[in-house]
Order: sequence, then structure tokens, then C-alpha cells
Amino acid sequence: MRPEPATPNRPLRMLKTALSRYWGVIAVLVIWQAWVSISGVNQIVLPQPVDVFRDLVAEPGIYLRNAGQTLLLAALGLILGMLLGTVIAVLAWSSTLLSGILTPLGLVFSSVPVVALIPVIARIMGYDLKTVLAIVVIISFFPAFVFTSAGLKTLPPGSSDLFRVLGASRWTRFTRLVLPSAVPSWMIAFRLAAPPAVLSAMLAEFLMGTSGLGYLFRSAASGFQTERALGTSVVATVISVLCFTFALWAERAVLRKWN
Amino acid sequence: MTDASSPVAHLSPVRPATETAIDLDHIGKSFRMENGRELVAIDEVSLKIGKGEFVALLGPSGCGKSTILRLVAALEAPSRGRVVVEGREPEDLSRAHRLGVAFQDHALLPWLTISANVALPFQLAGRSVDRKRVEELIRLVGLAGFEQARPRQLSGGMRQRASIARSLVLHPDVLLLDEPFGALDAVTRRQMNVELQRIWTDERITTLLVTHSVEEALFLADRVVVMSGRPGRVIKTIEVPFERPRQPAIMRSAEFHDLVDELTLALEPEEAA
Amino acid sequence: MIALSQERWRGIVLGAFGVLLFLGLWQLIGVNRWAGLTWPPLTDVLTFLFNPSRRALFGRAMSASFSMIALGYVTGAAIGIVLAGIAHLVHPLRPGLDRLASVVHAIPAIALAPLFIVMLSREMTGMAIAALNVFFVIYVATTSGLVASTAAHRDLFQVFGASPVKRLMRLDLPAALPAIVSGLKYAVPAAFIGAILGEWFGSSRGLGLLMVSAMQNFQIPLLWSAVLIASTASLLVFAAMSVVEHLVYRRYR
Repeated sequence: MRPEPATPNRPLRMLKTALSRYWGVIAVLVIWQAWVSISGVNQIVLPQPVDVFRDLVAEPGIYLRNAGQTLLLAALGLILGMLLGTVIAVLAWSSTLLSGILTPLGLVFSSVPVVALIPVIARIMGYDLKTVLAIVVIISFFPAFVFTSAGLKTLPPGSSDLFRVLGASRWTRFTRLVLPSAVPSWMIAFRLAAPPAVLSAMLAEFLMGTSGLGYLFRSAASGFQTERALGTSVVATVISVLCFTFALWAERAVLRKWN
Repeated sequence: MTDASSPVAHLSPVRPATETAIDLDHIGKSFRMENGRELVAIDEVSLKIGKGEFVALLGPSGCGKSTILRLVAALEAPSRGRVVVEGREPEDLSRAHRLGVAFQDHALLPWLTISANVALPFQLAGRSVDRKRVEELIRLVGLAGFEQARPRQLSGGMRQRASIARSLVLHPDVLLLDEPFGALDAVTRRQMNVELQRIWTDERITTLLVTHSVEEALFLADRVVVMSGRPGRVIKTIEVPFERPRQPAIMRSAEFHDLVDELTLALEPEEAA
Repeated sequence: MIALSQERWRGIVLGAFGVLLFLGLWQLIGVNRWAGLTWPPLTDVLTFLFNPSRRALFGRAMSASFSMIALGYVTGAAIGIVLAGIAHLVHPLRPGLDRLASVVHAIPAIALAPLFIVMLSREMTGMAIAALNVFFVIYVATTSGLVASTAAHRDLFQVFGASPVKRLMRLDLPAALPAIVSGLKYAVPAAFIGAILGEWFGSSRGLGLLMVSAMQNFQIPLLWSAVLIASTASLLVFAAMSVVEHLVYRRYR
């Protein structure tokens, strides 16, 4: 390490680091502000940030209640979807027949816009909360299945059926060798699946108009409450960024322990 | 520009060098390791290479001989001392596109044909491609007929031939060869040595060859410089007495074998004791 | 070419069996009404879809959606490649562009929709969200691809005195091509998702609008047809990109 220059420069250095990391984000915000100022967009169409903030502070209950519900459904759906994807991936790994059938199907589904299935699922299951949950489970299932399968493939495939693998003597082999080798891929799947889980929960709420952030957004937008709609955007962004950051942190923490 | 393009067909003196082409003046190179300790790769090396001279750097792996080549190529900067090539900083030479280089890794671009790979230095120098020169070199290294092949379709030896052709295509002032045949089998390697000797005798470019093969150094070079391992130092220098062009038969001569023994002894003093 | 290994054949047969099994289950559930009236048999959907009287309806929706998807795909890919190139050439800009890409990726499309509706238009919102989705995938693929060249190649270019632009054009970009093409493949479904989402927020045409209105009006075969069209189109483009990817990998690696 090189000796650091005198301490008075420290705030300056921190500013420089922050600037080098966030100049892109700042530039976008500046361009946006400049565009709004120059083009003089009507305030009803696009309110000032201050108005959005005022609405957020004035009605925290509405935001918190809906955000809490969305977050809960997204988290629960993500966990269930990941579990389901992992179990199916292990089943596929344990039998060459199953993996031969399921792997191409997994590829097909990861090459289509799965989010477009939301209206179909909503229609089949009906407009309620368990449908939102089911949608998040299905959306989270695919990355979990695809990545866990890829992680398990680094090992020789299970030549026999699952029960032989899970037989008393094999249980240790499975937990000591098979599962650990899939953990890094599993964490990647978790990080990749977290933002879509939140997004798909909100989209389901938006389309069905039940409750939660998506519903709040829809009712605000249709009632021309632009501050409320943008406030919802802000809350949604914060939740999404938090989830992504948490997933990233979890991935790094687990991988550090793993290696 | 040199006149190296005109082949010197006749027998010329073994040591025509009078002018210094490469001057390593008390150079040293240290690397800082991850644990904070300093690793001295080259302790103190002084070496002058004359214009048109072929010098082989011989040494065990990790003795810093490749580092010396990288200093001349301006791929690294010395920690101590000074490197002067053709009276200038090494960087000036590479920026003027007057260096030729071939590594142990052939470093051919997989998406280009052999012909396009050999022509690459023209494009990197921003010059129009001299088709005749490219063809001539491809023929010279024995790859005629493979112009449109891709590197992956060729054997290791053929790839190295293309790599040698590429290093020579611009008529460089200085040729740097870093174990160019290190990954080849013994038979192919000897064959490549014979051909490189033939091509070099025509072009007479100032050359620095890094190798760990005693026979290769003796057969190709005018002068062999032996380095010791960690930290790298010059421990022995011998002038090679064989006249050019050299025939493979000299490798079977008693004189050649004596020199091989002498150099091997210098490389492995502890085994002799 | 024809002499595929036994393992390949097995994979193809099992894969085809899996897809047929899926389609068969779809049909079976629909015919027996196991999932209610909202799950139509595959044959009903296909009959509905290929009925000549609906050609105009689907044609309009497809041309609206596909043009937005294509525009968003090309725009997003171009911005992604150019910004990754800038980040590669001008190193101090790299951390800022990396952060911008990940922040853009973390903002849910639903939050950006009102902005795009105001700044562009309802019709262009799908294009913009598709472009953002594609941008992220391509930016990440390109920045990682641009450092894929080997150390020996970089040394070679330096010794031959290549300028930074020459190095980018003749070494870094060709070496990045496999990664970029893989990115372009994975960006296909992302572009479809973006455009369809955008249409959900009040576009007056397109497959996305068809899905939402069919869902709300219980037009079950129409709903499934719209989803089937979008999925099949995405799958076909994805498959085409896989072929391109295969060719590029063969030549550039």
C-alpha cells in the first residue's frame, strides 16, 4: 500500500469516488430535469418531485400497507418458486430420462416472455391474492430450475433413480457433494430472480386490481392522481433496489463462505 | 528503414556487428508480491546487442529471461537502469511499428485466415497490405497452399510458422522471439530451427531469442548469454563459432557437442559438483 | 453432420418427447376441463388463431408489437454496445456506467412507465422498456466480452504498435463477439417482455393490449392466442439467434 496523503483530502477523495461511481446516474437525472424545465411540461402531467415527496409523507399508511403486502407476496413466492425449481432440478439430475425431458422444456420457457403468462394464470386461478403468489412462484421457478440444473451438471449425472441416490448410504454423498456444488449457481438464480419476483407481483396486482402496490399505482393512474402514481413508482423502485441489493449481498456472503 | 529486405545470399562474416542496436544498461526489475514482499526478477544485467546480431538468452525457467525480452518490447518498464533500442526508448520503436515478435503462444487471431494473420501488422501500422510480401513470407515459412486456412485447422508447428512469418512481415529493425518453439515436440522443433536459421540468414535482423534449449541457442545464435535463476544475472557468455548458413550437420560435430556440454554445465553447476 | 452421436439422438428424442408431453397435457386438461373453462384445449386455441376472419386483428397487433420490439431491441443493443465500448476505451468512466446500468436494471418497469408515457407516448412506452431491458443485458455481455482477449494477443498488439482504436476494432471487439451474440440471444425474451409490459400500461394497440382486454372480457381463446403468438415469436427469434451464436462461436473462438 502506498502511504495515503494528508487527511484533509479525505472528504474530497470520497466525493471523487462517489462521482466516479454515480456520474452516470447523476447525468440522467440532470438531463431529465433539464428536459422538464426546457420543454415546460404541464405540472398535472408531470408533477414536481416536491409534490411527490409531500404525498409520500402525508399518507405513509397507504404506501406502507400496500408495499408490505406486495413485498410479502414477492418474498413468499420467491422462496416457494426457488424451492420448487430446486426440487425439480434435483429430480431431473437424478434421472437421465427426466432430465432429457425437462431440460429442453426449461430452455423453451426461458426463451419466451414468461411475464406474458400473467393474464392467463390470472384468468385460470381468479382475481385474488393466491393468484399473485402463484404468479411469483411460477416466475421464480424458471431461473431456479435452470441454474440449479446447470450447477448440478458440474457433477457426473445421477445414473440411477433418486431413491438410490437418497438411500441411507448415499444421503451423505448427496448432502456433502451434490448440493454444495449447486450452491453457487443457486445464489446466482436467487439474485436474478429477486427483481422479477417483485416486478411480477406488482404486475399481477396491476392487472387484476386487487390490492398492493400495483393496485395503488393503477387506481392512482386511472384517477389522474399523478403524485400518487409517481410516489408508488418511488416506493416500488426502493423495494426493488433493496431486494436486489439484499440478493447481491447474500450471494457474496454465501460464496465467500463457500470457497 | 533497413535494407534487410534484400536477401544477402553470400557468406558473410559471423560477426558483422559494429553498431549497438540494443543496449541494456545495468537494468534491474523487481515485482511486488501480494504479500507485500519484493521479488527481484532481474538483479543487474548489462548487455549490448549489435546491429544484425542474433543473441540467444539461455536460462532455467523463472530466471527473468522473458522479462528482459518484455523490457526490450516495452511491455514492461525496468525498475532500475535503462533500455535503449536503436538509440531510442523501446516504446518509440513499437509505436513506429519497427518491432517483430513471436511468443510461445502463437497468438494468431482465430477469426482470421493465415494470410490475414500474417498481414495483420500492416493493418496495425496503418499501412496498405503488401500482398507480395505476405505471399513471399508464407512461402518462405513453408505454408504455401494454407493461405485461406484458419489457425485451428493447422498443427502446432504450422501455427508457429505463421507466427514467425507475421513477426517478419514488416521488415522489423528488431526481432524478439520468446520461446517460439517451446510448445512443439522435439522433432518439429529441430525442423523449425533449421528453417528459422535459413530465413534469418536471408534477412539478418537484430534478434533476441529467449529459450531454455541449449541446442536451439547454439544452432541459431551468434552469441549465447547464460542467465542464472532468481535473481536473474548473466553468468556466462560464449561466441558461437559456426559460419552461416549453418547446415543441420553441425549439430553432430564434436565442437557443437563440446559447446553444448559447456553451456549445460553453466546452466546446472550444482549437478556437476 | 448426419452422424450425430447416440447421446445427441437420445437428447433430441427425449426433448421432442418432453415438448409433445407438454402440448398433450395442455390439450388433455383443456378437453376435460380440469382447470375450468379458462383453460382451452390447444386445438381450440389453434382453430381460433388460424381462423381467416381474425387475420386482420392479429396482423395489426403483431405488426404494432413486433415493430416496437424490433425498434427497442436494436436501440437497446446499440446503446449497450456503444456505452460498453466507451467504458472500455475511457477507463475512468467505467464505474459510473456500470452503476447506471445496474440502477436502470433495478428500477421496476412499472415505475418507469408513467415517465415514458409522459416523455414519449403511450405507444412508444413498450419500445422504451424493451430498449432498457435489452440495454442492460447487452451492456453486461459486452463489457465482460471486451476483456476476453488473451494476454498474448494484447502483448502482440502492443508490440506491433496498435493504437487503442485499432486494438478495439481488430482485437477486443472480435474477441467480444461471442459474448455479445450470447447477450443478443438472451435479450430476445427481455425485449418481448418489455414491449408487452409497456402495452399493458395503456397502449391502444399490440399483443399486450389484446392480452389485457381479452383477460378482462373473458375472451379466453383470444387471450391464449395472443400469449401463444408472443411466445412462439420469441422462441423462433431465440432459436435463430442460437444458430447465429453457434456459427460465431465456431469462427471466433
